[in-house]
Amino acid sequence: MIPDSVALAELERDALTEIVNIGVSRAASSLRKMIGDQVLLSVPSIEVVSQRRAARLISEREVSDLVAVRQDFSGPFSGRALLIFPETNSLELVRAVTGDELSAEEVLEMEHEALAETGNVILNSCLATMANMLKRSLSMTIPEVLRGTGASLFEVDEDSAAEGLVLFLYIDFAVRSRDIRGYIAMIMDIPSLATLKELLEEFIARVVGDDA
Amino acid sequence: MPVTVLIVDDSKLARIVAGKALAELQPEWSKIEASSAAQALEVISGQTPDVALIDFNMSEKDGLELAAELRVLLPDMPIAIITANIQDEIIARAREIGAAFVAKPVTPDALEPFLSGAALRLRSPRP
Amino acid sequence: MIGADHIGSVLAAAGASGTWDWDIPADTLNVDAPFAELYGIAPEDAADGLPTGTFFKAIHPEDRARIRIAVAGILAGAELFSKEYRIVTPRGATLWMHARGRCHFDANEQPVRFTGLLVDVTERKRTEERLRVAQTAGGIGTFEYVDGYATAAVSEEFCRLLGLHPAPALPVQTINSVLDAAAAPLIPGPRGGAMPDGLDAEFQVVRKDDGALRWIARRGEIVREGAGYRLVGVIYDITTTKEQEAALRVLNETLETRVEQEVAIRRKTEEALRQAQKMEAVGQLTGGIAHDFNNLLMAIMSSLALLEKRLPADPNISRLIDNAMQGAQRGAALTQRMLAFARRQDLVPERIDIPELVFGMRDLVERTLGPAWSLDLEFPDRLPPVLADANQLEMALLNLAVNARDAMPDGGVIRITADQRNTVGGEAGELAAGEYIALCVIDTGVGMDEATLARAAEPFFTTKGVGKGTGLGLSMIHGLAKQLNGSFLLESTYGHGTVATLWLPVALDDEARVPLAAAPLAPESSTSRLKILAVDDDGLVLMNTVALLDDLGHEVLEASSGEQALTLIRAHPDIDVVITDQAMPRMTGTQLADLLTEERGEVPVILASGYGDVPPGAQQRIVRLGKPFNQAMLEKALGQAMGGAR
Repeated sequence: MIPDSVALAELERDALTEIVNIGVSRAASSLRKMIGDQVLLSVPSIEVVSQRRAARLISEREVSDLVAVRQDFSGPFSGRALLIFPETNSLELVRAVTGDELSAEEVLEMEHEALAETGNVILNSCLATMANMLKRSLSMTIPEVLRGTGASLFEVDEDSAAEGLVLFLYIDFAVRSRDIRGYIAMIMDIPSLATLKELLEEFIARVVGDDA
Repeated sequence: MPVTVLIVDDSKLARIVAGKALAELQPEWSKIEASSAAQALEVISGQTPDVALIDFNMSEKDGLELAAELRVLLPDMPIAIITANIQDEIIARAREIGAAFVAKPVTPDALEPFLSGAALRLRSPRP
Repeated sequence: MIGADHIGSVLAAAGASGTWDWDIPADTLNVDAPFAELYGIAPEDAADGLPTGTFFKAIHPEDRARIRIAVAGILAGAELFSKEYRIVTPRGATLWMHARGRCHFDANEQPVRFTGLLVDVTERKRTEERLRVAQTAGGIGTFEYVDGYATAAVSEEFCRLLGLHPAPALPVQTINSVLDAAAAPLIPGPRGGAMPDGLDAEFQVVRKDDGALRWIARRGEIVREGAGYRLVGVIYDITTTKEQEAALRVLNETLETRVEQEVAIRRKTEEALRQAQKMEAVGQLTGGIAHDFNNLLMAIMSSLALLEKRLPADPNISRLIDNAMQGAQRGAALTQRMLAFARRQDLVPERIDIPELVFGMRDLVERTLGPAWSLDLEFPDRLPPVLADANQLEMALLNLAVNARDAMPDGGVIRITADQRNTVGGEAGELAAGEYIALCVIDTGVGMDEATLARAAEPFFTTKGVGKGTGLGLSMIHGLAKQLNGSFLLESTYGHGTVATLWLPVALDDEARVPLAAAPLAPESSTSRLKILAVDDDGLVLMNTVALLDDLGHEVLEASSGEQALTLIRAHPDIDVVITDQAMPRMTGTQLADLLTEERGEVPVILASGYGDVPPGAQQRIVRLGKPFNQAMLEKALGQAMGGAR
């Protein structure tokens, strides 16, 4: 059950969706500049679910192993952002990002780098934009490249508060011309969620003014 | 006199990307690279760069810290903080130390305003 | 007002309802005439620009906050502003608008202009709403999938149809998990690669919520988008239709089974027919044999008779000749039965009252059987008559009684019963529907096992051992029954007894009543010397006939063919009577008779025939003479022929 304190009102959902949209637009724009090709983004899907379910929601989308760039953020609200690629896709992304000028070996050497930097650009653009919208500062960790399953990426610990609720955010993206696909997933724990709710309300008040 | 640009970024790819943008805008300028703040300071002891492009998000010492130190050492050097972290706070802090702000990814378009400004500054005599 | 500058022309070309251009630093909203009209703003008021707030004023209160957030978003750097919202016109009407806008930023990434176009989508919204309602009511779920994404956008109904938790977007994997792993996916993808050929297909799914097995149809379009594609489609449940199809298929299959059964029945019937034909063939064979036999017997009997006349009276000679004659007569009787079986024998059907017939021959039967056996006759008071040949029927009964006796070697009671049985068709050996008399001869003897019973009516089949029966009795009865449009049935249980039933059709009222007594013959005429023309293709028979006639004191001319006969009749106009064989090559006896009539008018003709059938078109006046005939029969026939003529 979602505690009443963190249930998002419809307007708050709208606001959050909008903010995420902006962040992701920015990220998509950045990715486009890096690759030079059209990037498609889906409408963000936002759900409040258990951590275990969040992990499952990821694994539901993929059967194979995943490669991801992970960045944790903290500040008024904290959480984890992931840029996830199915493993079979990631090299294509590297090739795209390194500009097709490198040899095959160089591409393999650069894989880790390229993924890290891409993740850096995308996640940072997204999170930073969101922070700006909410008029707060977040500090981000240095992005890490990880490989594993959905569960491991979200580090669902069987003993610990696997029942803890999280905000699960999910955006599909695809670069058709290069057959690149992946998604951005974000989780935020409940205390953070409460703060986020406040910030959203502030945002709404700011923007909507008397029309709220 | 050839202009030297110091590129500091822990990501090799980022350094390549910045270098490419630089080469496109100013083909005659040369670059020296460092992959961390510490390494950058080492490099500088040997050679003084004319311009610096510094990534913000680095471990141990972040780009803003390094930029602040460089500002003390080289008060007039054009410095740009390059980062995807476009938070207002970062932008504001960059301004405070007299550094420009270039959002990643560093395309020639993104770098152009800073570089043309830097080129002007370098050509005009020091006051 | 927006003039014919670069923004206006580009936006106006889209045919939109109206355009706006928001100068952000100046906080001024510029709009074109259509936009102004929609917002209920007088064109002259809009000419110099409007306060920014105007944009939001006309928006429906419920949508205003949402749009404000969206605008804030675009100003903060979101790429595209694309929203639908309601506006309330000055006249109070509510319209749905779709606004699409872009934001322009300065060098410092500050928004300076927000421009866009506004399209009236009220009608589309209504249609969409009606469609949504229809889809939900009609159980139609929609989906949209961008190739490359891991999720597909779906409607609630879509989720419900598959038993999935309702959500605006579902992972492709989850959607496809309602299908068997080996089956084609419901949402093909998620990787790009080749575009699917088409979306029209049917799937068998297992609903996630209740595990029900359902059939789902998918229809839709594949929209090309540059290098990739977008799938836009619907799904709906077709389980009922499929079940009906399955039921139909089952019906078809059982139809096949039923057809097979029909075929089996037909085969059985064909088998029965074949059997009947076999019997028929045997009949024909026996008929043929019988005919030849008849001729031979004729020769033997005639010669013996003449021999007896001409030899000196010697008891030894007489005994020998008698034996020979008996043998020949027995042979004649045999051929009779064979011919009867072959259904060539001419039957004289007449209305017969069965109880009368049976009571009439009771003595004969009891004497034939012997003292150890007795007859028990059971007949209803009134029984309709049958149409049958009296002699043949008597013979049949006698035969059956003898069989019954032989089955009870230690004596016993033989029951003979008769009762009316009406059929609806198909009973008792394929009887036509109608009224029948069932004449039964019942014994409590040894009975027959199945194998014997099956062969009992076969010609030449006998269990009685050599010399004790010809084996033709039952087959003859079978033939008789068939000829009378009845049937003959044997029922037997080994060790318990046998019931032999003769089914005979009840005689219809309009058939002439003929008393049991034989029809009176034409009075015999005195046998004065006649000039007779004898015709037969068989030399031996002809010789015999001539001998017999000669012995009777007549003058005989011989012809061995119809043609010869005609030649002779033309040559001898004083021929009194023609006696001819029926079965001759090239010209039959009846054909000859017709030609003779043409030649000589009413010349008497005697037709000698071993076959029973009455050739069609045969003249009524022709006297029939059955083969084999003896001299007495020949004489009688002559008398009939001459009597009739004179």
